[in-house]
Formats: sequence, C-alpha cells, structure tokens
Amino acid sequence: MSVVLSPGSVEDAVAMLAEHAEAMPLAGGATLVAMRNAGLVEPTHLINLDCIAELRGIERDTTGGIRIGAMTRHCDTAACNDLTGSLLVLRRAAGMIANRVVRNMGTMGGSVANADPAADYLPALACCDAVLEVAGPEGRRKISIHDYVQGWYETALEQGEIITAITLPAPVAAPSAYRKIARVTGDYATASCAMALDPDGKGLRAAIGACGPGPLRDRDAEAVLRGRLDDPEAVLDFAACLAALADPLDDVRGSAEYRLRLIPRLITSVLSEIALQTEVA
Amino acid sequence: MSLVQPDPVFVGGSVGKSIAKPDNLEKVQGRAEYIADLYRPGMLHGAILASPHAHARIRGYDLTEALNAPGVVAIVTGDDVGDGRMGAFIKDEHAIARGKVLYVGEPVAAVAARTEQEARHACRLIKVDYEELPAVLSPEEGLADGAPVLHERLADYIKVFDAGSAGNLCSRTELSEGDVESAWADCDVIVEGEYTTQAQAHVSMEPCGALADVDANGRVTLWSANQSVFRVQANVCESLSLPMSKLRCLTPRVGAGFGNKMEAHIQPITVALALKAKRPVKLIMTREEDFEMVRARHPFRVRMKTGAKADGTLVARECEVLVDCGAFADDSPGVMGYSLLMCGGPYRIPNLKASGRLVYTNKLRFGAFRGFGNPQVLFAGEQQIDEIGDRLGLDPFAIRRKNMLREGDQWFVGPRIGSNGLALCLDAVEKAAKGPRADGSPRNFGLAVTAHISGLLGTGAIVRMLEDGTISLNTGATDIGQGSDTVLAQICAEELKMPFDQVAVASPDTDGSPYNWGTTASRVTYTTGRAVRAAAKQVVDQAMSHAAEMLECPIDDLELREGGRIGRRGANTDVTFAQISGRAHWAVGGPLVGSQTLVYDEPTHDPKRAIALGLPFPRIGVFSFAALGVDVDVDDTSGQVTVQEVWSAADVGRAINPRLVEVQLHGGFVQGLGYALYEEMVWDGARLANPSLMDYKVPTSRDVPDAIHTFIIEDPDPSGPFGAKGAGEIGLNAAAGAIANAVAKATGARHSHLPLTGERVLAGMLDSGTSSERSA
Amino acid sequence: MSKKILHSLNLNGEEVEVATPAGATLLETMREDLRILSAKRGCNQGVCGACTVLIDGKPVRACLTLTARCEGHAVQTMEGMGGDRVMATLQRHMVESGGVQCGFCTSGILISARELLEEDPAPSRAAVKTALSGNICRCTGYRTIVDAVCSAAEELAQ
Repeated sequence: MSVVLSPGSVEDAVAMLAEHAEAMPLAGGATLVAMRNAGLVEPTHLINLDCIAELRGIERDTTGGIRIGAMTRHCDTAACNDLTGSLLVLRRAAGMIANRVVRNMGTMGGSVANADPAADYLPALACCDAVLEVAGPEGRRKISIHDYVQGWYETALEQGEIITAITLPAPVAAPSAYRKIARVTGDYATASCAMALDPDGKGLRAAIGACGPGPLRDRDAEAVLRGRLDDPEAVLDFAACLAALADPLDDVRGSAEYRLRLIPRLITSVLSEIALQTEVA
Repeated sequence: MSLVQPDPVFVGGSVGKSIAKPDNLEKVQGRAEYIADLYRPGMLHGAILASPHAHARIRGYDLTEALNAPGVVAIVTGDDVGDGRMGAFIKDEHAIARGKVLYVGEPVAAVAARTEQEARHACRLIKVDYEELPAVLSPEEGLADGAPVLHERLADYIKVFDAGSAGNLCSRTELSEGDVESAWADCDVIVEGEYTTQAQAHVSMEPCGALADVDANGRVTLWSANQSVFRVQANVCESLSLPMSKLRCLTPRVGAGFGNKMEAHIQPITVALALKAKRPVKLIMTREEDFEMVRARHPFRVRMKTGAKADGTLVARECEVLVDCGAFADDSPGVMGYSLLMCGGPYRIPNLKASGRLVYTNKLRFGAFRGFGNPQVLFAGEQQIDEIGDRLGLDPFAIRRKNMLREGDQWFVGPRIGSNGLALCLDAVEKAAKGPRADGSPRNFGLAVTAHISGLLGTGAIVRMLEDGTISLNTGATDIGQGSDTVLAQICAEELKMPFDQVAVASPDTDGSPYNWGTTASRVTYTTGRAVRAAAKQVVDQAMSHAAEMLECPIDDLELREGGRIGRRGANTDVTFAQISGRAHWAVGGPLVGSQTLVYDEPTHDPKRAIALGLPFPRIGVFSFAALGVDVDVDDTSGQVTVQEVWSAADVGRAINPRLVEVQLHGGFVQGLGYALYEEMVWDGARLANPSLMDYKVPTSRDVPDAIHTFIIEDPDPSGPFGAKGAGEIGLNAAAGAIANAVAKATGARHSHLPLTGERVLAGMLDSGTSSERSA
Repeated sequence: MSKKILHSLNLNGEEVEVATPAGATLLETMREDLRILSAKRGCNQGVCGACTVLIDGKPVRACLTLTARCEGHAVQTMEGMGGDRVMATLQRHMVESGGVQCGFCTSGILISARELLEEDPAPSRAAVKTALSGNICRCTGYRTIVDAVCSAAEELAQ
C-alpha cells in the first residue's frame, strides 16, 4: 500500500520526496506501477507528478529550441509537429514505444528517469544532444544527456531529484531516423539506432541503444567520419568505434554476441534509409 | 469430399453452418464471468508462497508471524495435505510441496486472508527451513550416474501403464515396425540430424484460478478455470484423499486453456485452504505464478534419421527423443508416447523405429499443450522430408504426395486410417500458393504436412426434452472458448431436426454431467459429438414411440420433421415435441431422456505389425490431416523472419461449424508462429528468467500476417458425428516445420534449434553466405 | 494495512464514492470495491491489454492507473457503453466474425477499437492492427478481430 500525494509544484514535490524516506516520484506509472504490482518496489508514498503544470507540454523557446515537459506522454511526443528534421528521430522513437495504449500513459521524464538501457528515448535523446533539467533538494540544475547514464540503471540524478524537462536544440533541416530491432512489435529493444545527418549531408550523429548501460555515442568517431559517408569502409570503421564502446548483456532478447553483430548492421541500414529520405527530399 | 467456404448465413439445419457462438454476446458486453469474477459471501482470498530452491528438503515451517498478520485466517503447508498423490499417468504429485521442494516456484505454503494483499503479505512472513539439495536441470544431467534423485519412492507410485520408471527416468517408450537396421542399406539417400525444441508457455489470457466453498456437511464445491471438471475432481480427491462424492466441481467461463488447465493447477491447494478456513476461498494466480507454477510445452531433444530410394520413396526412419519432464509426470508420458506415434508423419515408411526417454528435472512440470509432442517431432521430420526432396530434385509437394498414407492404410504401430483428405489439402495449398507474389517477386515458400488424432478415453451426453419440447444438453465438456458448446448443440439440433436456439447447453457439473475426460487432444467434437448424436437419437426414438401411440400408427410409418415434429409419412397430421413431451411428463412413460456414454476403444497397437513397449495411450483415435504453406521474408539486418502469407488446409471430416474451424486454424497457426519464431521460456540456472509478458513475448496483431488463407477439406470419417473429426491442434502442429522449411529456402540454411530467432537465422545466413558480416 | 481512502470517481457517467486501499490501482478498485468486472487482470503489468478502459476518452491500462489519479477524470468501462452506437456496431461484428473465442481479451480489444474509430473512422487493416497491437489475443490469431473492426467501420460509414 502506498499513500498517494499530489503536489501542485515542483518545489512541493521535491519537499515531499525529501520528507518520506521510502517515497518515489510517480510519472506516467507505466513502469513504476507495473514494478510495484510485481512486488519489485514497495514505496510508502507515491509522489504524483500529474498535477504540476510546469511539467506539462512541449514548447519552443525564442531560439527555436524545444522544451519537453517531463510529464509529456509518449503519444504527444509521437504526434508533435515541432519535432522535425534532425529531431524527427525522437518523434519516431516515441511512436515505437510499447503500444498505443501504453503511449497514452508513459512519460518522457519517467522513461528517462528509469534509464532502462533497452528503452527507446535514451539513444534518440543522445542523438539529439538533449539536456535534462532537474530539480532537487539542492535546487535546479541541468545534465547533458551524454553525462546522464553512469551505470546499469544508474544515473546522474541525485537522491530526491526529479527530471522536470528535456530540452533539445532547435531542429535543423536534415533527415533523421530511428530503428529498433525487437523480438515482437512493442518489445524493448534488442538493439536500436538513432541517427541524424548533418544539414550539409556530409556527416552524421548516431547513437546505439540496448548495447550497454547507456546509449553509445562517439563524437570523435563522428568527426573522423565526416566527409566520408559514401565510403563504406569509413562507415564500418565508425561502427567499429561504437561497437568498441559497447558492453552488451546476454539476456532474453538476445546474446551479447548478437548485439555486437547488430551494431554495424544497424548503422549501415539506418544510414541507407536516411540516404533514401535525402534522395526523396 | 469437397472444398467448402464458410457460410455465415443460417438457413435450416444446423450442421455445416457458421452459427455465432451464443456466449459471444455476454463476452462482447463484458458480462461473461470467469473464475476471478466470482465472489461468495464471507469469501477469503488466497495466495501462495513459492519455493526459492530447485531441490531442497523441507525441515520445518515457522508460521507464527504469518498467522498473526492482519487478516489471516488459515495457512496450509505440506503438513496439512496427507500423503495422497495425484497424476494422470504416474501418481507422483502432492497437493502442495510435502517433504521436499522440486522446483523454483513450487507452492510450499498458502494463506487465506481477508484480502489478496493481506494473503500475499502473510506469505512473505512464512519461514521455511530448507536443506538444499543438488538439482537436476536437464534430462542429460538427470540420467547421469550419481545424479540427485527427485522421487526416491518412484518405484512405489501408482502407474497406469508400463512406464519402466527408474532413478530419474519417469517413463520410456519404444515402438518399432519393419527392420530399420537392415533397411538403411536399401536407401540411396539418408539425412540425419539432432534437433532441440524449447519450452513454450501457454499464455492463456486468463491466469489460472479456483474458488472453493465448504457446506455444513463438509462437502466441497469447487469452481475453477479448467478443461475438465472431472480431471479437477480426480486430482483434488487423489491429492487430498477425499472421496469423490465429497467434491463437486463446476466451471465458470474459461479464458482459454491450450492444455495448461487440463490437469491440476492450484485447485487442490484452494480446497485445502477452504477446508482449513471453513470459509470460501478464492485463489487467482498472478501472471508470473501462472508462468512459474502451472505447466509448459516440453523441451525435446530429437535425433532423427530418414532414408529414401533415389525415386523419393521413403524406406526408413529412426527417431529418438529425450524429453524434459519437469518435476512431476503430469501428462508427460502421454505426450512423449504420442510424439513417438507421430514421428513418422503421415507417410508410408515401412521401417520405422522410435524410442523415447522422459526424465524428471527440477523445473516446473511440462504437460499438455496444443499438439502435445507432435510439433517437436514434426520440426525434425518435415525438414528431413524437404532435405531428401532437395537432394533428389523433388519439389516439396511431389515428395509428400509420393509417400503419403492413404485411406485404409495403417498408421505407425497399427491404427487403421478411416478418412484421409491429405491429398486434397496438398492440392488446395499448391493451387493457391502457386506463382510469385503480387509484386512479382519470388516466394520463400515452405511446406509441412501433419496428422493429428481425435479420440481418447471416455465421454458422455445426456439429452433431455423439457416440458415444452425444447432441449437441455448436458455433456460435461468444458467449453474453453473454442466453441464446443455451440458445436455440440449444432449436432444435437441437427439430429433432432430442431432449431439450434432451442437447445440449451448445461454447464459442466460433476454432480449432474456425464463423465468427460476433458477438452483436450482435439477430442470434444469427435468423441462427445458422437455421444450427443447417439443420446439425441434415443430421444427421437422415445418421441417416435409416443407419436405412434398418439397418431395410432406403426412407428415405421412415422417421420421426424423439421422444427421438432413427428408426422405420418404422406399425411399432414403430426404431433409436436411439446405435445409429446407434455404427454411424457404428465401422463405416459415419463420424461424423455437420452443418455449415451462411450469410450474410444479401437486399439492403437497391432501386435502382428509392430512392437510397442510402454505405450501410455493404448487407444488413440481417428486422424485429421493438414497441409500448411508459408511464405516468409528474412530481414538482412537482423535475421528476423516475417511470415507474409499463409495457406492452411485441414481435413476435419466435416466442419460442423466452418467459422469455428477457421478460427482454430488461424489461432493455431499464430500460436505456432510464436513457437517457431519468438517464444521461449529461458532458465537462468534453476530460475525461470522470463516469467512475465514483458520478457516472454507472444505475437501481437502486428506480428502476424494478414493473409491467412484457410481451406476446409471435408472427407467425412465414418465414425465421426456427421463425419466430423477434430480441428483444435491440426493448425498449430506444422507451423514451425513449415516456417523452418521456408527459412531454409530464403537463407540456404537449415535450422535445428527452435525458436528461429533473428539471432539464429542471421548466424545461419552468415554461415550459408546469403548474408555477410558487416565489419571493418 | 487495509486502511481505505475515500475517492470520488466519475465512472460510466455516474459520480461514485468509493473507499479503496491507499495506492490501489483503478483495476483493483473497480473489481474489489465496485464489482466492475469487465476489465480483467491478465498480467497486472500493462502488457496484455485485458484491463483497457477509457479515461477522458483515451484508452489506458486500469492496472497501471492509480485510483487516486482518476479523481476529476471520466472513467468508462464496457459496463457503461450500453448506449453507444459505435460500440454496439463493433460488438455485433465481433459476435458475427468469429473474433470472440475465450472472451477474456474481448472488452479490452473493443475499447481500443472504439477509440480507434473515434480517431480514424475509416481505418486501414494496418491501422487496425497497429491500434490493437497492445491487446494480446491468444485464441484467434487476430484475423477475425481485424475483420470485425473493419466491417464495423464500413457499416458505420454508410
């Protein structure tokens, strides 16, 4: 049994989390309530973030940057017309989470906070160079997505901190795509790939999901690859750099060996998918 | 013999019409009551404590804290259940762990409390003192010298057949005909392989559950999710040493079975709790418990060798299976024995030898699951048929036509084949799947054929004419959603020439229904249908006697007319069933009741033909046949297989309700697709690693092909009701075999391990050179 | 531990006061405290879809929704859809198509389908399959369910 508390502001939520040692913040519930139903967590208090206006909605700032409130549902992200070009990858990733009904419930903040390595947002956000806004007992701060995951289900969030928003740089006109290899539709990824081309078409940003505790992104290797996208050897060298960062698990979705094998295959297939988009455009 | 398209329109007669199941209406309105929807005054809720160990001796329990927890009324452990043991073939299983635990997840204790939460909370407060024992996690380990023994008293257990049990060997079966050893010399081509198949979970959408209530005299009423109220009664009474007359078993609507509700799940524990609490207790399993505690499809290791002449004529096959039994025998001996009977497929193979060993392991019991042993051996056998065809340049249809069994042939070890529409099934699939895809690209086509029995054991029907001439039909067969109530009512209505909607079907009740072994092994339409037809015929005969007296004419002059009337041939005068039944109820002779029981009694084994040792089912049934074609795509990035189109043709003798047959073919195929491509219970040591729908994946609507073409072939069986044979499993059996053959076509690689995951298929493509590694 | 909290819900168009354990899910509250039984507990993990209900017209999992969060929102279950013409049409086509077998998934499927037709009155077969991909059916193989939703949509369009 958990007492449900419904704060009206981020500050109240943070205070409630600080007050109750066994409290947990409740975002969409798609993961946390499922875990509680299975007896995996037993919070004394659930801090319901549903009534906090600040956590809702997707907004554009004056520079064109996008701020996605942490309580934004996957269905709204998947339907967001502001996520175009280089940010389309995030919209696509949102649309592949679980299924339509769960997308009506789950939130970006909840998913990111849970930091399941096989979930869809982290690689997409890594590809978009997202920044997380968080609030906690020590006040507010920002965390780059690249510094966020620190181990298996371990993140840079401190005790009592909640994610309030995810911010993205302004979209640029360049194709991006997300592909997930999963056993069946809606499953967590066995491996996934988020990719966006540079606006000039000469380079790319790519992140691999589900092949380590966090998304795999190698910005140095991206720099090396720049200008050589039409060189298959260079692309495979790039994929090898990402594979070298991988720390995949053997689990029910696939072996570590299979995941390593998928990394270059995903990179090449998503790149050709993007190339097709470019030709069509 | 004919090809029929489903006819949704109901005109006259009942048999052959796609009548919508009457239970559909309450189901679409959300009003159907399943076990979890039942409540009784004063009812408690139960919960189970599961064993954390795969193999351990129970030294004692400390229940103090749990008994003092809020809401707790009663706790049951192995100390409460006596030494009774249950089991369909070998009585080796207590109601709840007693003395030892034999797998992770085995129920060790159960609590009845005011709420489910309180019961679950109290379970966590129970302390069990275990002495851990080394565990057996595979059949190979179980057979090894010096292996820890699961059932020390195995020799003393009651067995219903010659099991040959010893050590961890639960049973062995050996069958042979012809002379395999010397036949290999006559073969021009021989293929050989070792195949492994995985454990598959049933995943009925409704988890198992039960509700027990005890009356003032101590007699128990038990509702449960089940496939046979009579197997529930037998299992509970054997394991709790109750006289069967002290237990009444009933069933609400059942949210599917596929085999996992055929034998006991937690009914004995629920009854033990209710007896101890002296109050009604409802126990509904969680999905995780349903995965960990109920049962699953057996993992098989199959060694198979097949030989043929240069013209493609099959000469010999040898098949050896090693089967993981899990901790208790359950239906396993029957499954293994049946798999061996099926291992030759529907082919003339003059020299055939099959042997199997079933080995206890410290895992949950494996048991009945749609197809029961057939899909495992078919995965090996149908690939070998294709391999032989490939080597000899015979296409998949040609080699199968050349060797298939014909009407009047004998099946392996002896059963005579009545009707056989396999040739028509092959024709239907070949014709429909001919040529390229709509976009002109070539198909990756795979074919497999199968046969399956319907028959097995006892059944009955009681047909009562009510005062107004309408009918109550009582068979004791549990409708698990597949529509057997509808089909049986159609058979009854047809025999009585009455409108379908004037036949009411009684819910199974061990107090009032005739015995029915169960809704399993594709048997209800065939066996229970026969009993229904015979019982209805008795009612017609009784009505005829009345009509003869009422119309003052000889019975031979009378005819049964549409709509429940009996009249004199050539004359308009007739009497209605209502008039006849009124007379019978109030004046002459007594109410009209037809009652028929029967047991399938054609022997399986022909001793003049074959040698059979340890055959668990000595009388199996009649044969349905099917051919299945699939067209697949394989993704070059991931190796994942997508089934694009399916052609499923089945000879079901006579489709009593074509739409329901079609849905069996659709649903069976998709469950088989899951088995072929995704589904696998995985153990991490002794613990099931994926006991949830998060981690164990079944096909969703997006993972199945839209184009599933079904062809119902009707080659009436002389013994079946209106010619009908079973249809419940025939659509699943061949799925993995056909998909494996299509994957071989697409990738050039043969696979001997199920499921055909992207990972395995990609590895095969890299080996065969149909794809290449993408690396720097 | 069995302390109950009072909540007011708008359930199937009626204001309902219900005392339910603290932190209970909507599925628990409906079934144990209100005997609203059309939503089923198939997995309690949000995967199977048998507990799908509408909140403010959108399908969600009752097993993942806390009752405390439902205050101020309209909850609809199959019990409350008796007067809905679209649902009646869907139900009739499901009955006739063979899309109903064991029935355990059926309410959830119909609720997902009902909302789909709200969003897209003339869905393609692919759209129907996508919309229903969060509702597992283990009996039918989905074919007859998709048939039913498509033919219901066609009839409603006329």
